[in-house]
Amino acid sequence: MCTRDRVGRLVSELPQAPQYPTQGATLFVDLERREVRRGYTPMRVVHGLLAGRGANMFYLHRLLDESLHPLHPEIPLIFGSGVLTGIVPSAARGNASSWSPESGVLMDSNAGDYFPSFIRMNGIDHLVLFGEASMWTLLHIRDGQLAFVDAVRYVGLDNIDLRQRIPNDFGGTWTRDLAMVNITRAGENLVLTSAIMAGPKACYARGGPGAKMGSLKLKAIVVQGQTRDFETAQPYKGYNRTIAQKLLDTSVVKHALKTTGTPFLYKPSRMLGAMGTKNHQETTWTDRLDAEHITPYRPGMAGCFRCPVNCRPLNELTPDPADKYGRGDGPEYVTLGKFGPNVGIDRIEPVIRLNNICNDLGLDTASTGSTIAWAMELYQRGLVTRHDTDGLDLTWGNAETVEQLLFKMAARDGFGSTLADGTRAVERGGYPADALKYRMAVKGLMQSDPHDARILKAFALGLAVATRGMDHLRNRVTLEINARINDDPAFKARLYGGPVGAAPNSYDGKERAVRVCENVYAIGDSVGMCRFTTKLFNSPSLPGLEEFANQIGNVTGLEIAPEQLDTIGHNVMGVERLINYRLGVRREHDTLPDRWFDEPVTVGAYAGEKIDRGEFDRMLSRFYEISDLDESGVPRPEWRNELERVLGAPYN
Amino acid sequence: MITVRLPSTLRVGPGDTLDVTDHVATIAQLIDVLDRRIPGFREQLDDSVFNFAVNDEMLLYRARDRQLADGDTVEIVPTISGG
Repeated sequence: MCTRDRVGRLVSELPQAPQYPTQGATLFVDLERREVRRGYTPMRVVHGLLAGRGANMFYLHRLLDESLHPLHPEIPLIFGSGVLTGIVPSAARGNASSWSPESGVLMDSNAGDYFPSFIRMNGIDHLVLFGEASMWTLLHIRDGQLAFVDAVRYVGLDNIDLRQRIPNDFGGTWTRDLAMVNITRAGENLVLTSAIMAGPKACYARGGPGAKMGSLKLKAIVVQGQTRDFETAQPYKGYNRTIAQKLLDTSVVKHALKTTGTPFLYKPSRMLGAMGTKNHQETTWTDRLDAEHITPYRPGMAGCFRCPVNCRPLNELTPDPADKYGRGDGPEYVTLGKFGPNVGIDRIEPVIRLNNICNDLGLDTASTGSTIAWAMELYQRGLVTRHDTDGLDLTWGNAETVEQLLFKMAARDGFGSTLADGTRAVERGGYPADALKYRMAVKGLMQSDPHDARILKAFALGLAVATRGMDHLRNRVTLEINARINDDPAFKARLYGGPVGAAPNSYDGKERAVRVCENVYAIGDSVGMCRFTTKLFNSPSLPGLEEFANQIGNVTGLEIAPEQLDTIGHNVMGVERLINYRLGVRREHDTLPDRWFDEPVTVGAYAGEKIDRGEFDRMLSRFYEISDLDESGVPRPEWRNELERVLGAPYN
Repeated sequence: MITVRLPSTLRVGPGDTLDVTDHVATIAQLIDVLDRRIPGFREQLDDSVFNFAVNDEMLLYRARDRQLADGDTVEIVPTISGG
């Protein structure tokens, strides 16, 4: 059965009117035939998976044909905004989900800026896109209506130039009444580390969403319309003020996020000896990349729709407007780590410049930086030579080479095409099989963050079990790095529902903390809340399940208790594991790169530390036990039956 | 003497380095001394965002029991956990 037929059957099951105040429609967009069908997420799914990331999984589960391949146009690309997106302060997020062309497992990437909120302003919660357009196409959404526009004139434009063209052609002003998601040349060229851009820097980054969108020949989705208040079940603005105040009163927001942004994290990571350096061959690096060295180049901060935090640092390297990469948004800590220590660059200026280039070229800085670091280690070891690299010198720290590689990747030019295959470079014949020993990836996805998790065992477990591959944003027990919390066992036990070992390198109880974080973060994604302002990620005092439940009640009229939200978060993970099972993922894929098992950290107070295979396996078993997973890593029968009742059977 | 480096985010007046000549054997005692010198210092530090590093070694647990020796440098490091 083709996806068009699957969609037809699914739409026939869906309600044709909103099921609660503020619910938006799901639009099924057939790009090949230029047809749109619509429906609303049914209540059994809302009660089981909520909206945003959760409901995205319902649509993906029902429409996925795993006999195809990720870039097949019959595999849908699904955008979804959270149930509170666009309504609650700092809830500006949405997810893009599919079958990842980069990893080969679940693709589920989250972004903020303005697009997720603006589609909700147009009465849309989800966009399910499928079919290959006969020519490059742009979707234009205004007043809740969707139009197909010829996008041939935009082909070849990267992010900066496209964002200059669109307001001229469609009218409107960014951040006021105009938002967009788009791909760049990298997405057009099916670069597996390409992102879907959602702003000057904000992007759906992980898993190759840009390539997936490119496979549909969809260049951009432009959304217009005035921002508005929603008609909610009950008054909600009073409680919005409570949430905003809670955000602004939180220490980490006041002391770091609002003033400097995430680069603050570089210093503690390098001091701990947990800074991924030279593809994780080393674990500490220079203090010349500490956040204070970015300050002279930071003219201000920016933020997402109706977010009071404004954590996004802007940069200006030069006032010369002719230098296209002399200014931009960022860098975040991830980019700082991936284009600093992990490729051996020790000056801040080239890191900022490479950040600006990646934002223009639409490249996920996490996977792209890791891919280049992998290539540099292969060069160091002689597995790749100048003969392979088009004559380029891939010595550590060679910023000029890194810059050239970015442009070659986006264009799939020469050696750039090997890099553009990301983690799949061996499978596609770009590298010898031995290269896999040095690939820092899990489930086919390069590590998201620069942290080296050989010391912090909870971080390691989280990276191993994350459903989209090696990524810290799915479940990281970030508070493990805070001594004040580790030294208060009673408080820590209350946070995670039971005892969790104080020592960061202990394996004791870490599975419990990962389980709790995974549930809370899945709910954060399903309501649309930013991870940085969700409880447990940066602070124990940020809004969490209780605040979400209260405001879901005010906004939608749905009475969902915090404990029920916890169950829904667990369900989201369960469905993601069911999808991954269909894509071949089993327990043995919940693991870590061999380097972390075999090579100890050599510096700092934790010198000698690595991951013990036996201890890790026992921790993983405990995680499976408390997560109600069977030996294959999927929900046990009773829970699975309940999930299948919520989902309905996939079509064959 | 213990040298204490403070982040700009801690509101303790001008300067970001303090010298402590009192005898202090642990981080906890150092906090006592600093709280006497800077009113409200202990209260500001009662916040999970602040970690201690001794001679560039980040302390992730048992921080306040950490032994100090003459000549040590103690740094208070604001720590964002995620990123």
